[in-house]
Amino acid sequence: MARGMKAELERQGLRVVMTRNDDSNPSYDDRASMANGYRDAIFISLHIATTGTVGSVRAYYDQMSAPYVPPADAASSPGKPALSVAPGLNSWNEAQRPYLNASHRLADLIQIELAQKFSGSGDTSLGAAVRELRSVAGPAVAIELSSVSGPDPDTLANAAAAPLADAIAQAITAFRAATPGGAKQ
Amino acid sequence: MTRNWKIFLAALVGCVVVGLISLRGLHRRVARLAKAEVTEEQARHEVLAPPVSTPTDVPVKAQMFWAGGPDGLAPVEIELPLSADAQERSRQLLQALIAEPPTPDQRTLPADVEVLGFYILPDGTAIADFSDALSNETPSGILSERLAVNSIVRTLESNVPGLRRLKILIHGQEVDTLAGNVDLTGFFDLNPSVPQPISPVAPTGPTPKSPPAAAVPKASGASPAPQKH
Repeated sequence: MARGMKAELERQGLRVVMTRNDDSNPSYDDRASMANGYRDAIFISLHIATTGTVGSVRAYYDQMSAPYVPPADAASSPGKPALSVAPGLNSWNEAQRPYLNASHRLADLIQIELAQKFSGSGDTSLGAAVRELRSVAGPAVAIELSSVSGPDPDTLANAAAAPLADAIAQAITAFRAATPGGAKQ
Repeated sequence: MTRNWKIFLAALVGCVVVGLISLRGLHRRVARLAKAEVTEEQARHEVLAPPVSTPTDVPVKAQMFWAGGPDGLAPVEIELPLSADAQERSRQLLQALIAEPPTPDQRTLPADVEVLGFYILPDGTAIADFSDALSNETPSGILSERLAVNSIVRTLESNVPGLRRLKILIHGQEVDTLAGNVDLTGFFDLNPSVPQPISPVAPTGPTPKSPPAAAVPKASGASPAPQKH
């Protein structure tokens, strides 16, 4: 499915770099590291699940909260103070934080397209603590195709490749047009 | 119409009537079997995780969050005997969340999951320790893992006042993800609408110019946000 999407995205004028091309399984950090090596890249993580409404697709953006602040009256707070990082640098585990709003916008744009192409898909993207996204220093979304199971899951997944790629391409075009000055919040 | 045709038609009508009657019976048997399966599941769970009861238990209407609709959670009010002690109360709620979904389709946590421990620290941090089944039997996928975590978070925050954040452990250990996707290395905000103190902590990296994700209304699809420590 990913290869089919790559071909379709390239046909629409986008440059695509895959984080893997075979059965290798790079770690989440390796994938983030690869994405962070490109300037102005958009990170899209593709997922296939066996649950959810058959054939529906959902875009997710990462969700983090403000750094933990112990209450003033908690003398024996177990919370560790945030590690100090040199100004201008991001903590690896928080690399996505400056891009949360941009990722949310991109996920919403993708979801609008997905809702038109895949019946049963929701109208809005969802926030979730997706492990794969947290260290990506750029707009990053995860897209999950639901309930791909049964005797021939590959056919269903492959059939989804072209409309998925088309939805992503259109959303990226709209996203780039809306954020010409960069994707940071 | 010949006599043979009449006999054939009568036999056909007879078959249809018998078929309809047996279909009804079959439907009843399937429904009975499904019910028996749930009961067996509950019985097994009661052996593995006996109900928590404390002297302060009082029957109250608890708001539980089980799966509702294709991608979300829906509140369901049930009467539960709940302890006045927040720690025990939380355990009772989590056990009910696992053992008492109204229908199998509303289940968000695997039936075999046990709550191994639940602790509340003085600063309102809650630590929930689940058995391996939570990780092994939750279907891998953002949707299903998100539902599992959100049902825990929203059930706790709706019924246990004073909790600020939740850490989920599997068999006493911090794990990277629930079942491959949702990050469990951080904390999940509980009761994010309660005003938090202004952070005196030096910012890490570029200063965020937007409100924290916890302020995003849940109606827009936001889920409880994890915190890094």
